Amino acid sequence: MIPLDARTREQLDEVRELGRTYMRPMGLESDRTGEPPPADHPFYLICSRRGGLVSRVVGEGEGDGPTWKPLRALLTAEESAYWDRGVALSLPGPGLGGAALRSLATPEQRERFLAPFADHSRAHWGAMAMTEPGAGSDVARIQTRAKQDGADWVLSGAKMFCSNGARADWVVVWATLDPALGRAGHRAFVVPRGTPGFELLKIEHKMGSRGYETASFALDGVRVPAANLLGGAAAYAGRAGFRGAMATFNLTRPLHAAQGIGMGRAAHDHALEFVRAHYPSHGARRRKALERLAEIRRGLATARLICLHAVWLARQNRDNVLESSYAKLFAPPVVFRAIAAALDVVGEAGVRSDAHLEKLYRDVKILDIGEGTQQVQRLVIARQLFGFPRGD
Amino acid sequence: MTQFALPPELEQLSHEATRFAAAELAPGARASERAGAWPPAVLAVVEKLGLRELDLPESLGGAGAGALAKVVLLEALAAGDAGGLPAADPAGTCVGALLACPDRALAERVARACLAGEARAALAVADAEPAGPTAVYWAPARPPLRFVFESRGDGLRLYQLERPLEPVRALAFQASGGGSASLEGARQLGEWRLSTQESVDVRGRARLWCAAVALGVAQAAFDATIAYATDRVVFGKPVAHHQGNAFELAVAAANLHGARLLARDAAASFDRGEPDAGFWATQAWLAAVDAGVAVTDLGVQLLGGHGFLVDHPAEKRFREVRMLALLAGGRDLADADLAARVLEVPDPLFAGAGATS
Repeated sequence: MIPLDARTREQLDEVRELGRTYMRPMGLESDRTGEPPPADHPFYLICSRRGGLVSRVVGEGEGDGPTWKPLRALLTAEESAYWDRGVALSLPGPGLGGAALRSLATPEQRERFLAPFADHSRAHWGAMAMTEPGAGSDVARIQTRAKQDGADWVLSGAKMFCSNGARADWVVVWATLDPALGRAGHRAFVVPRGTPGFELLKIEHKMGSRGYETASFALDGVRVPAANLLGGAAAYAGRAGFRGAMATFNLTRPLHAAQGIGMGRAAHDHALEFVRAHYPSHGARRRKALERLAEIRRGLATARLICLHAVWLARQNRDNVLESSYAKLFAPPVVFRAIAAALDVVGEAGVRSDAHLEKLYRDVKILDIGEGTQQVQRLVIARQLFGFPRGD
Repeated sequence: MTQFALPPELEQLSHEATRFAAAELAPGARASERAGAWPPAVLAVVEKLGLRELDLPESLGGAGAGALAKVVLLEALAAGDAGGLPAADPAGTCVGALLACPDRALAERVARACLAGEARAALAVADAEPAGPTAVYWAPARPPLRFVFESRGDGLRLYQLERPLEPVRALAFQASGGGSASLEGARQLGEWRLSTQESVDVRGRARLWCAAVALGVAQAAFDATIAYATDRVVFGKPVAHHQGNAFELAVAAANLHGARLLARDAAASFDRGEPDAGFWATQAWLAAVDAGVAVTDLGVQLLGGHGFLVDHPAEKRFREVRMLALLAGGRDLADADLAARVLEVPDPLFAGAGATS
């Protein structure tokens, strides 16, 4: 049993209610149409008006320092993904861009870029653009160039897999002074929507997780003021800047893993209902199904403990690089197998889209890719545990 | 959200036991295996650490320190040498049966005999379907096996054995000696009917014992594998720095980490008196032996031919975890227990919903 305080329970109840009423139906609709819900969907306004929920759901916490509530963020990530992981990612808020802001930005920049989120009259999004067509997990290979020109910076290149990028007020864009410098050459800039040369190329069409937009951009001589260089020039002395940005992901990896647990639970519950409806009494198929359900439960319970432990370490200001990677390595394949096992419980009926399970099977695959693939997590763990060399 | 921090007294216990295991148990492991016993001096320290009494309640003469304390101690000792652990813990896998046994006087008699080191009690987990007399396929040789709890479906019986064990060679745990017994003709001291939940608790405690030992052995195997595989160079770099090997080690580490969290959580669940602790202990045992079998297999594999030789502890750990995966009725009966309970056990996240916490 996981002891939860009353406020966390209330919040989970709130997410559950919104999930049942809005997120699940919106996710199914997006899956049918292939389009994310429009930015002016009334649900987003409800989220904004309730204030805070949005940022909590995407794991942005509730500010900095001691008021940050990692456990609650973890559990809301799980619960919202239970209803629809895609729509959960589409919720308004600063998103991963907010995480970059919190780890790098000056106080003035935080005020300037986060202030719009206090406006609850309409929904606001932030976004982050790191990945490029030729640089995914190996972020050190990004090619988008940043050149100083007088008081401004000029950005040129291309970005993809930018979640909520097209509807965002601003996007944190990572660029390099010179690819030969590796990580030391990286700089992060806040690029407001509508900046000339910052051009939306397309919203990608995906196998699953269709409830949020995945945008690709071209940057053609995008000019931003020096004041938009995150953290100012001083933040990039040495490797601390990049490390700061990466430390952010020690917190987001367990959240990502927790989304998987929510999806695995959804699959489990579908299979459970199916067992109750179709195998009500003793029989070989019921027995096999119950064993499958037990195995699903084992994987999900273990994954959740790994996530909670990683966040617990962070909460105590202890290093959790290794444990966060354990979470991100362990959960997605376990959840993938859980959904596959739930499909096996249902059997042939599982091929039908209205069974929802086949959607989960498509939705879940991206979890093993985004925020560092399973393979990257193995590298991180190998480096941490036995000095696996970098650059191999 | 403090369930991950061990209380200071358990940290201390773990620290002491780990130090002792590394300094005293590990160096003598092979000698103990040949001798068929841990040396008396080792047994004295293990007893002082509380192995026998830790998780038995005070009402039965135990220390009442709980299941988590026992798990922590078993993990630490097993990392040094698991070989003599079964012999050194005469009621080890019967604590659940002793707690559930409705005849408290009888339970106390058995517990006190075990605590005094005069007798051993074993748990024989039998198939729910009647299939002839139940056998104790393997039990440590010392102290003499006098009591056998038979857990069959929702039935619990207690037998007294008069005859000595028939000596057998076993896959592992030679430092505990070992023999078999049949319950045919044994004197029945009592027979009771338990709820399914109670029965799964009885078996779950035994499985948790095995899980804790498996985790300790597996951690030792993992650490030794890393030490070897970062030192030994093949094709120009350490064994562990070949990506194919590194990836397997990383996955093994994550699985072991998860299994340990699950086992400790199940132990804490017993200590909190939660209704589904036996279900989660059974889950933890499956996770622990799955992770442990994989780790100890890798431990042999990455040592190559050396791993197959008794010159290294790798092959001993390989056998030990495999054996732990067969005890307490084996995997199929564990799956049956989980299947019997899975529809009733709530998600731990929602189990406390409506509570005042």
